[in-house]
Amino acid sequence: MPQLLELQRAMRASMVERSDGAIAAMLAEHTGPERLSIYRNTFVVGVTKALGLTYPVVRRLVGNDFFDGAAGLFIADHAPRAAWLDNYGAEFPEFLRSFQPAATLAYLPDVARLEWVVSRALHAADRESLDLKRLEALTPDEQARVCFVPHPSVALQRTDYPADAIWRGVLNGDDAALATIDVDSGPAWLLIERRASGVEVSRLDEAAWRFVAALCAGTPLELAFAEIREAQTYVLLAEQLTAGRFVDFKLAPSGETNRNAALTEQSPGDGPAVIMTQQRG
Amino acid sequence: MSQRAPADGPIPAKAGIGLRFQHHQAVLDLEPDVAWMEVHTENYMGGGTPLRYLEAIRRDFPISLHGVGLSLGSAEGLDAAHIERIREVAHRINPAQMSEHVAWSSVGGTYLADLLPLPMTEEALDVVCRHVDQVQSCLKRKILVENPSTYVSFRHSTIPEWEFMTAVAMRTGCGILCDVNNIYVSAHNHGWNPLVYLAALPPDAIGEIHLAGHSVRPLADGRVLRLDDHASRVAAEVWALYRHALARFGPVPTLIEWDNDVPPLDVLLGEAAQASAFLAEFEPRHETTRVEHPRETKLTEEAGHATAA
Repeated sequence: MPQLLELQRAMRASMVERSDGAIAAMLAEHTGPERLSIYRNTFVVGVTKALGLTYPVVRRLVGNDFFDGAAGLFIADHAPRAAWLDNYGAEFPEFLRSFQPAATLAYLPDVARLEWVVSRALHAADRESLDLKRLEALTPDEQARVCFVPHPSVALQRTDYPADAIWRGVLNGDDAALATIDVDSGPAWLLIERRASGVEVSRLDEAAWRFVAALCAGTPLELAFAEIREAQTYVLLAEQLTAGRFVDFKLAPSGETNRNAALTEQSPGDGPAVIMTQQRG
Repeated sequence: MSQRAPADGPIPAKAGIGLRFQHHQAVLDLEPDVAWMEVHTENYMGGGTPLRYLEAIRRDFPISLHGVGLSLGSAEGLDAAHIERIREVAHRINPAQMSEHVAWSSVGGTYLADLLPLPMTEEALDVVCRHVDQVQSCLKRKILVENPSTYVSFRHSTIPEWEFMTAVAMRTGCGILCDVNNIYVSAHNHGWNPLVYLAALPPDAIGEIHLAGHSVRPLADGRVLRLDDHASRVAAEVWALYRHALARFGPVPTLIEWDNDVPPLDVLLGEAAQASAFLAEFEPRHETTRVEHPRETKLTEEAGHATAA
């Protein structure tokens, strides 16, 4: 008699690898192997639907049939690992980058990377913004050592293509806006966050982006100021605080305000602080 | 007569509807005349807009959290991170009731995104009971477990499904979520008598009934399969079986489920009104016979058992 684990592995082989032999041998006589295709189909259709909800703009850019085909191949290699499908599909942008049939849409992986971060922002945990009175209560020495904890929905992303303009144009069905986009207009530095009205994607200039990224990575305030001189750092800091992008802070150890020390203090469970996406080679 | 029930009370023995995202705003705007609502726990994990809607709706209606991803029948054990996410949703919503399925979904680190059939064996029964114990300890509350709809069964099964369901309830103190449509679908697909199934379930353990639509598909081998697709109205045969269930169990909280091609809210409310009409025909059983918090001591002792990552 097959053990439960053996049966479950056989069912997985049928559903994910389309290999029915082992599980078919365990079926009762009245339930022929044709019925296995129902489970396989439910799996692929359900997970494809979940992927399409996370990547609605990619779906519209490539069309439903192309998307379903790509999703089927992706799912075979990257089946969900947890029963939280809102959090499924992190590897899809990289899959698209190496997916030959989509090679003519050079900007597609960047748009997908943006959609992934937008989806993470949509589903990020709820946290109250930092009470600014807590900062005011610090001494100047302590203020210099402040390492901010960003809101779980805040992310920073650099893209080679105007992924934000494409994303917005497709979501709004704004063909006129899409027609004016120059896909070769160069890189963009994006801030993604969830506001009360929904997820917002905004552009920063590179210096401002690097400063905000440093703060979101938990760099002590003093070091962030010192490293990024060209930006209007004090104005930028005030903007971040009033926008409620931080939820907490820690103090770097006195006299040890070097970046590495501060970063090692961050626990990995603190959430998606900064998504410093790879630059394309 | 109004169907509304106190939002902070238990799930009443009346008709409720499965709440889906399409109807969040309409429910807030219209406050429909329905006694309670149920949502899929997995749709409210993390944070953001869906949870905000559910918190707002929770102020007006008793809510049941119905999980679809815990995989109580996994041979390899439960996903502690998933239990923790469920606990976080429960902490935010303070549901009147929580439920899951006698099924499995995960193996080898893969989530197969479906409620898959278990072999009806002593080994599978032990696995499900161990996991129900673990979940009840961790959530510090009794849960209900739902009978599955299945398209295949296994040649090495030794326990009739109705005995399996009863044994899970008896051994763990959990309740049974009796899905009447699932009984009808599985009975058809495997040649069982659905009335025998109903007659074998322990009435005191039945905490909720589910009703949903199903479809019919002819197979190449000449057989006809019934598919539990939750994409249509409740079938006449299932309404008839529901009345048999009420005759045996007395009035039980009854949910209308509709997950694919979700219709306007009015259609769901119409189905709930039909369930209410049937519910009104049957006398309440003695409430005192219903076991609300079995094995409280044991649950407390085992608290935190499942949370170690």
